[in-house]
Amino acid sequence: MQVLSYSGSQLVDLCSALLLLTCFAIVAQRRLSACVDLFALQSAFLVMTAALVAYLTGNQHLYIAAALTGVIKVIIIPRVLKKVIDRLNVKRELVMYVNVPAGLLICGGLVMLAFFISQPIIPLGFLLTRDSLAIALAIVLIGFFTMIARQKAVTQLVGFLVLENGLFLGATAATYGMPLIVELGVFFDVLIATLIAGIYTNRLQDAFDSVDTNQLTVLKE
Amino acid sequence: MLEAIFLVVAQVTSLLAVSPFLVGLIRKVKARLQLRRGASVFQPYADLAKLFRKQPVISTTASWVFTATPYIVFASTLSAGLLVPTFISQTPMNFAGNIIALVYLLALGTFFLILAGLDAGSTFGGMGSSREAIVASLTEPAMILSIFAIALTNGSTNLSTIVQKTALLEGTVADPSPHLMALAALFIVALAETGRVPVDNPATHLELTMIHEAMVLEYSGRYLALLEWAAGLKLAVFLSLIANVFAPWGIATTVAPAAMMIGFLVYLAKTAALAVLIGVIECMFAKLRLFRVTDLLGVAFILGLLGLLFFYILRS
Repeated sequence: MQVLSYSGSQLVDLCSALLLLTCFAIVAQRRLSACVDLFALQSAFLVMTAALVAYLTGNQHLYIAAALTGVIKVIIIPRVLKKVIDRLNVKRELVMYVNVPAGLLICGGLVMLAFFISQPIIPLGFLLTRDSLAIALAIVLIGFFTMIARQKAVTQLVGFLVLENGLFLGATAATYGMPLIVELGVFFDVLIATLIAGIYTNRLQDAFDSVDTNQLTVLKE
Repeated sequence: MLEAIFLVVAQVTSLLAVSPFLVGLIRKVKARLQLRRGASVFQPYADLAKLFRKQPVISTTASWVFTATPYIVFASTLSAGLLVPTFISQTPMNFAGNIIALVYLLALGTFFLILAGLDAGSTFGGMGSSREAIVASLTEPAMILSIFAIALTNGSTNLSTIVQKTALLEGTVADPSPHLMALAALFIVALAETGRVPVDNPATHLELTMIHEAMVLEYSGRYLALLEWAAGLKLAVFLSLIANVFAPWGIATTVAPAAMMIGFLVYLAKTAALAVLIGVIECMFAKLRLFRVTDLLGVAFILGLLGLLFFYILRS
């Protein structure tokens, strides 16, 4: 086999395409623990993308951001979520507001929407990551969709984390990453949010014997 | 002229000869992974020879569709095989059709198989036909979309041109992202269309699970042999398509004897590797419930769509 000789921007494109692919896998996946695994995989692709951009552009602080993503989103958050899932009496999501094929089609529509929104902006950019902007926007929209379409607290949380991954990719694509201090703050926020939501999910389980967030719409004595 | 005739003969014989081997190889891999010894990889040849010698039994309620179908299915699959490059990048029927003709030649066979399943009037056949219709109607859009993604990246719907172009790139792919999505979509489609495990189980005759086997349940003798051979051919066509569109390296690009010899060996190795992969997948995954098949094929459809979108999004 010959040596692969791709341009850097094509490799960045490929990595962000894989990120988007894992989004679709999360939308199609019913098992809670598999959703968490897919999120960890998606974060691993994000680490790859960030490290690749850091290598191609020489922005040192992106290496730190990539390493932090690796520690927090690939290792810590999935472990916390797995612990939460272990305590739950539900392993897979049987009822969704939108069934899987329809959800996939809607997400396909969201990708097209993201593409058409970002199409006028992209040619104005000159960064080698500019094509990833449309994909980042699509990931944010799919993260929103996951939060809306799922009933269980854990998968809603995964939707939130996917959204955050999209934002990180967007920042990397648009400006080669935010200033390090901002990124540190965001990482801390995400970690704390996940911990709080994890504890909250456990309380939900204890109070209602279910993590169905539908139950929260009714006030109860 | 002589060269064209040679190409047709070579491709027909190689497809006919290789397809039972691929079926046998998948069975062998499955058997070994389940700690069985399994039949020889050449068992399907013996099965076909046996079936061709047996006298067929035809239901008295069956019409001409029943007897015509095996020939139509066999002929349409074989002519689809002539549109796909196997060991040489020029296809024999290059002038007659492109990748879209390939899809619909295969669909013609499926259509007649569905009719034949209904024709004999048995309940199993009807059930198999109805299921096959579901699967076929869901795989077709996914296949067309992924094929369009490939056609767009190569600027042609002609399979010879596509393979030739990719082969000359020597190890790289012009547009990696659309290619990757189309590959994944086409692989799922191939599993569904050839009746492999997540969608159908070719090794069982249990009424709850069978799709393809239910449709051909009424067939016997040489008709069954033709249908089995056609099923093997369809597998060979899909594996050649995937191997040569996504990894055409090593394929003969000229009619020189040495290049063709290497091309044939590489072709055998590539399709055998894909067959082993399918065998492993059959052991690792359980068959999906029928109404979950739509989820899997929905994923294939979306992958094809993404491939198409990526071509436009990632056009830097």
